[in-house]
Amino acid sequence: MSGRSKGAPFKNPGWAGNTGEFDLSEAQVRGDDFVGERPKHGGHASGAGTLPYMLADKEPEARLFEGEYQQRFEKILTRYPTKRAALLPTLGLAQEIRGHVNPETMDRVAELLELSPAYVRGVTTFYTMYNKAPVGRYLVQVCTNISCNLCGADEVLATFLRYTDTELGETSEDGNFTVIEAECLAACGFPTCVQINSRYYENVTPADVQKIVEQLKKVGD
Amino acid sequence: MAYPYVSDKEARVVSQGFGDPKQRRIDTYVERGGYGALKKAFGLSPDAVVDVVKASGLRGRGGAGFPTGVKWSFMPKQPTKPHYLLCNADESEPGTFKDRELMRWNPHQLIEGCLIGAYAIRAKHVYIYCRGEFFETNQVLARALEDAYAKGYVGKNILGSGNDIDVTVHQGAGAYICGEETGLMSSLEGRRGLPRVKPPFPAAYGAFGMPTTINNVETLCAVPHIVANGGDWYRQWGSEKSPGTKLFCVSGHVNKPGNYELPLGFPLASLIEDVCGGMRDGNSLKAVIPGGSSVPILNAEEAMSCKLDYEGCVTAGSMLGCASVIVMDHTTDIVKAVRRMVDFYAHESCGQCTPCREGSSWTAQIMRRIEDGDGTEADLDTLMQITQQMVGTTICVLSDSVAPPVQSSIKKFRGEYLARMKAARSTEVPVAVPAGVA
Amino acid sequence: MSTTPPTSAPTAAPSAPAPATVTLTIDGQTVTVPKGTTILEAAKTIGTKVPHYCYHPGLSSPAMCRLCLVEVEGAPKPQPGCVTTVADNQVVRTVSDKALGNRQGVLEFYLVNHPLDCPICDMSGECDLQNYVHAEGREHGRGVEPKRVFGRDDFGGDVLFYGDRCVMCTRCVRFMSEVEKDERLTVVERGNRSVIDTFFDEGLDGTHWSGNIVDICPVGALVSKAFLHKARAWDLEHTPSVCASCSQGCNVELHTRDNVVQRVKPRENLDVNGWWMCDYGRADYEWMNEGDRIEAPLVRQADGSSKAVAWKEALGGLLARAKELQGRPVKAVVSARASNEDLGALAELVGALGGGEIVYRSPRSAEEIVLQGFPTLARRKDLAPNVKGAELLGMHRVGADDATGGLDKVRAHDGIVVVLGDALADQDERFGASAALYVYVGTQLPVAARAAHVVLPVTTHAEQEGTFTNHAGRVQRFWPALTAPGMARPAWLVLGALVGELSGEAVPRTAADAYAALAEAVPAFGGLAYPKLGARGALPMISGAAVSSGAKGA
Repeated sequence: MSGRSKGAPFKNPGWAGNTGEFDLSEAQVRGDDFVGERPKHGGHASGAGTLPYMLADKEPEARLFEGEYQQRFEKILTRYPTKRAALLPTLGLAQEIRGHVNPETMDRVAELLELSPAYVRGVTTFYTMYNKAPVGRYLVQVCTNISCNLCGADEVLATFLRYTDTELGETSEDGNFTVIEAECLAACGFPTCVQINSRYYENVTPADVQKIVEQLKKVGD
Repeated sequence: MAYPYVSDKEARVVSQGFGDPKQRRIDTYVERGGYGALKKAFGLSPDAVVDVVKASGLRGRGGAGFPTGVKWSFMPKQPTKPHYLLCNADESEPGTFKDRELMRWNPHQLIEGCLIGAYAIRAKHVYIYCRGEFFETNQVLARALEDAYAKGYVGKNILGSGNDIDVTVHQGAGAYICGEETGLMSSLEGRRGLPRVKPPFPAAYGAFGMPTTINNVETLCAVPHIVANGGDWYRQWGSEKSPGTKLFCVSGHVNKPGNYELPLGFPLASLIEDVCGGMRDGNSLKAVIPGGSSVPILNAEEAMSCKLDYEGCVTAGSMLGCASVIVMDHTTDIVKAVRRMVDFYAHESCGQCTPCREGSSWTAQIMRRIEDGDGTEADLDTLMQITQQMVGTTICVLSDSVAPPVQSSIKKFRGEYLARMKAARSTEVPVAVPAGVA
Repeated sequence: MSTTPPTSAPTAAPSAPAPATVTLTIDGQTVTVPKGTTILEAAKTIGTKVPHYCYHPGLSSPAMCRLCLVEVEGAPKPQPGCVTTVADNQVVRTVSDKALGNRQGVLEFYLVNHPLDCPICDMSGECDLQNYVHAEGREHGRGVEPKRVFGRDDFGGDVLFYGDRCVMCTRCVRFMSEVEKDERLTVVERGNRSVIDTFFDEGLDGTHWSGNIVDICPVGALVSKAFLHKARAWDLEHTPSVCASCSQGCNVELHTRDNVVQRVKPRENLDVNGWWMCDYGRADYEWMNEGDRIEAPLVRQADGSSKAVAWKEALGGLLARAKELQGRPVKAVVSARASNEDLGALAELVGALGGGEIVYRSPRSAEEIVLQGFPTLARRKDLAPNVKGAELLGMHRVGADDATGGLDKVRAHDGIVVVLGDALADQDERFGASAALYVYVGTQLPVAARAAHVVLPVTTHAEQEGTFTNHAGRVQRFWPALTAPGMARPAWLVLGALVGELSGEAVPRTAADAYAALAEAVPAFGGLAYPKLGARGALPMISGAAVSSGAKGA
C-alpha cells in the first residue's frame, strides 16, 4: 500500500481530492484539526461505510479478508439484515486488495456470503466499477458524456491516450495506465472530469494532461 | 473563499455551506444551528413532521417531483415490520452534479435530514446509497457519520429522546440504473440492479421486503430547514405547485457553470444571462436541455421563454427533471451530442426489458451511423418510430428517456441531421464542428 | 417465489368457503375467475393465449419480456398481463391496435440481433419467436446494423447454449434458482451485452434437473445435445406416456419419428411432476429403440435348440404342458417395469395354475433426489415405475438393491417357473434347468432363458397401452408410441389368453378390459376405469374415499 503524505495530493492517488480551487486536503475533509491515517478500520460499526479504495499498488495474489480486512468484512456484515446485501461492499473490498475481481475472488466471496458463484459473477459483471481483469496502476476514466463532451472531453481523452502511450481500454506497456471512457461522473459543471483511481480531477483541459501523467509516473518511481 | 461562482439572485437554503470547508465539521455545523431541527422534530409526533413537510409542498428533487410529505404518508402508521429510509445518492443523470456537492460540503445537513425522515416514517435504519465513484464524498460522509455517532446524534437513544436510528453509507458500484428507486433497492440487497415491477410499491414491499421510502439527497437536505422554519417559510419561494428553492446544475457553454440555488420558477433566460454570466465567448445560444439528458431539448427560442419549475418546463415542451441545465451554443454538433446521450442509455440499460435492451443499442447504432455520415433520411423515421416503441412499454423509465433527446432533436434540428446524410455529404454542406474537436 | 400450487380442486373439502371471484371483460367476452388471477391466466380460460416469454406458471414473474402487455381501459400505459391481477369490471383488450402494435414493436426488437438461423435451429417449428413473428410481426425487418454475436457454449450436462438466439427471458436462470435451487446460471453483463452463463467452466454438471431448462426455453437458445440435429419438430409424433425411470411416475410425452423414440419431454401434471422431470428419466429412452428383440415365440426342441413358431402353436403346446402340471407349485419372477395389466394377468395365471409365489426384483438407489422448489417431485429410490403396483398385487421384493440375487429358490425350483420381464442379467444358462416347465416372457433373450421351454415375445411399455401405479398409489395411463417388432404382443394379452383357456373365463380384448378385470379382482385398484383415469391419472377409490395423495404432500 502506498504511503500518504499530507498536503501533497498527487502523492496519494488513492485519495480523492480535487485539483485547483476544489482541492480538498485530507485535513479539510475531516476539519482542520484532523491528523490520522486513512480509516482502514472501516468506520463506525453500524454506520460509516467500509469504503474501498482503488489503490495504485495492487496485489493480485494477496490473501483475501485476513487481518484488518477480516475485521472490515465482519463490520460490513453487521450493517445489513441479510448476508446477500453485503455482496457489493465485499466485492469492493476484494478489489481494493487485489485490484480486480477474478473468478477465484468471486468464488471466495460467494463462499463467505453463502451465495452461488454464478450469482456472484452475475452481480459482479452488472457493475462497471469492478474490474474483471487487471488494470494499470492508474485507471484513468475520462468522462465523455454530454456536458464534458460539449467542453472538449474527446480531446482530453485523446491527449491522455497520447501521453500514456496506450490504446483505449488497454494497459500501457509500463503497466502504469489504463485509460477508459467513463459515463457521467456527476461533475458536469467542472468539465472535463477525469477520475484516476479514487480521485476526481476536475476542469481538466488537454493542456493539463501532460502534467498529470508526469506526476503520476513520478509517484510510481 | 467563494464557491466557484455565486450569484446575488440565489436563495441559498440547502447550499449554504458550499465553499466553506468548516461547514463539514460537526462542531461548526452544530454551532450554526445544526441538529436543531432534529431536536424540534423529536418534540413532534412522526405524523406532525409529515404534516409540516406536506405543508411546505416540497417535491422530490430526484427528477419525478412527487410531493415528499405525501410519499411519507404512504408508510404504515403502525409498524409491524422494520421500515427503511433509503437516501438516493446515486447521482448519475448526465448534467447533474448537485448531490455530490451537497454531500461533500455539508454532510451533516443530509444526515440530519435522513434522521428526521426516518423518524417521520418510523424507520430505524437509513441507508444512504451513495454512488460508488464518489470516493471522496463517501469519505466525507463516513467521517461525518462517525462524528455524529460519537456525539450521540445517530445511533441508540439519540439525544436522550429514546429514538434509535442507525445510518449506513452504502457504496454503489457503477450502474446508472441504481438511481431508479426499485433498481436501487435491488442493488442494496446485493443483487443486480434490476428495477422491479410496481405494484407492489416500496411503501408496502420495499428493500428487504419491508416498507421503504426512497428520497433524493436534495429532498432530504431541505427537510431540516423546513422542519426548523415551517412549511409557510419554504413557500416564500417558488409557485403554488412548485414551492421552494431548487439547485440548478448548469453546465455546458456558459461563462460560469455551477450549482445555483434559485427559487423555482426562475426564468431560464435570466439563469443563463444574469446568473451564469452569459454564453461562453459571447457565442449565441443554440439549445438547452433543462432537466438532464432524459428530457426533450429546447431550441433557443423555447428556452428564452421557459420558466424553471415543474409546470413551466412542461409548457415550454420539456421537463424540469432534476434541474440539470445543459446549455449549448451555436458551435454545438447536435447529432454528436444526442448520439453521446443515446450511447449512455445503451450502456446503462439493465437489459431486463426487451424494448430497452434492444432498442437503446439499436438507436445508438443508427445514431452512430448517421454521425459517421452513412445515414439516410429514412433512418430518421425509423429513429422516431423505434424510440416511440420504447416509451411506456418497460418496467422503469430508462427506456422512455431515449425518446426525448432523439425525437426532440430530430424535430427541432432536422437540418443538422440532413446535412450529415450520405446524399448531403457530397455537396459540401457545412457541418457545425464544435470547438476543441479536431 | 414458490411454484404455483396444483390447480385441481381438492377432492374432500366440502366446507371450504366458495372462493371470491372477479368478473371482467377480455376482448368483449365476459370472464369470471377467482380473485387474484392474472390477466394472462384469465385470458387462457377463454382460449386466448397472450404471447409471452418470461412468464411461466411454475416460476416467478419478472414481467420483463414485455410481450404480454395488454390494453387495460383506464390505465395510462399497457399493463403486463402476467403480473397484473384482474379487477371487477375491468375491460381488457389483448388484440386491440395498441396491444398488437406493442407486440409488433417488441417482436421487431427481438429480431434486431437474432441470427434468424431457423433452417439449422432445432427449435424451428416449435419456437415461440418464430410463431409470434409469423403471426403478428412486421412484414419486413428494418435492421441493417451488424448483429451482436455471442456464439455457442457447452453448458455441460445435456445442455448446449446458442447465445445469439436467446431472448433473455431468464426462465432458465429462474428455474435453476427457484425450482432446482442450485443457482448455476446467471445473467452476465448488462444491457444489450447481457448473456446467460454459468460460473465460468463450472457448467451444469452434477445437477439433476437441468434438462428442464431446454424445455422451458421458448426459443432455440438452449438445446439438448442428445437431440441435436436429430429430427425436425414437425416430423415428430407426440404420445402421452409415463416415465419408467423411477416410481414417481412423471407424466411425459414420447416424441417419435420413424418408429424411433427421439426424445422424452415432461407433460404437465400438477399432481405429480408439475412441468418438470429429472435428467435420468429424460435420458432413459434408448432402451425403447433397441433392436435385439425377440420377434417370435420360441419353443425348445428335444435336441435343446429353439424353434420359432406361430403364437397358436406356442400357446397350444404351453397349455397342454401346463394342464399336465396343474397343481405343481409355481414360482414366478416379474419385473416392476411391467404394467398393472401385465402383472394382474400374471397373477391370474399363477392362480389358475394352482397358486404359488410371485417375487420381483427392482433396483433401488440410496437416496431420493428431491426437486427442492417442487418437493412433491423427486427421483424416487425405487428405480422402476410399478413397484407399488407389484406390491398391491401381493408380490414380494427379493434380491439386492442393484436388482441382483434373491432367486436361488426359483433357480432350482422343480415345478413351474414363469419369468415376466426380468432380464435375469445375473443368472447363467442353468437358470430354471430343473423346472418341469419354464416359461420366459420378455422382450430380449438373455442367457438365462436358454433353459426355457417356451419363450414368449412381449411389448415394452412404449409399444402398448397400460397403466403404472406410482409411489403414491396414483394409477396413470400410457399409450403406445411405437409399433412392436415382429410378433411381440402385450403381456396382458398373451397371459390373459392362457388364463382364459385354463379358467374358462372371458379373455380381455383391450387394455381397458384387462384393467377392468384387475379392478374387479383387486380392491386396491378398485373404483377406476380407463375413461376415469384420463391423461393425468387418478387415485383408486377404496370404500368411497380417495387414497391420500403423496403428490400433494398430504
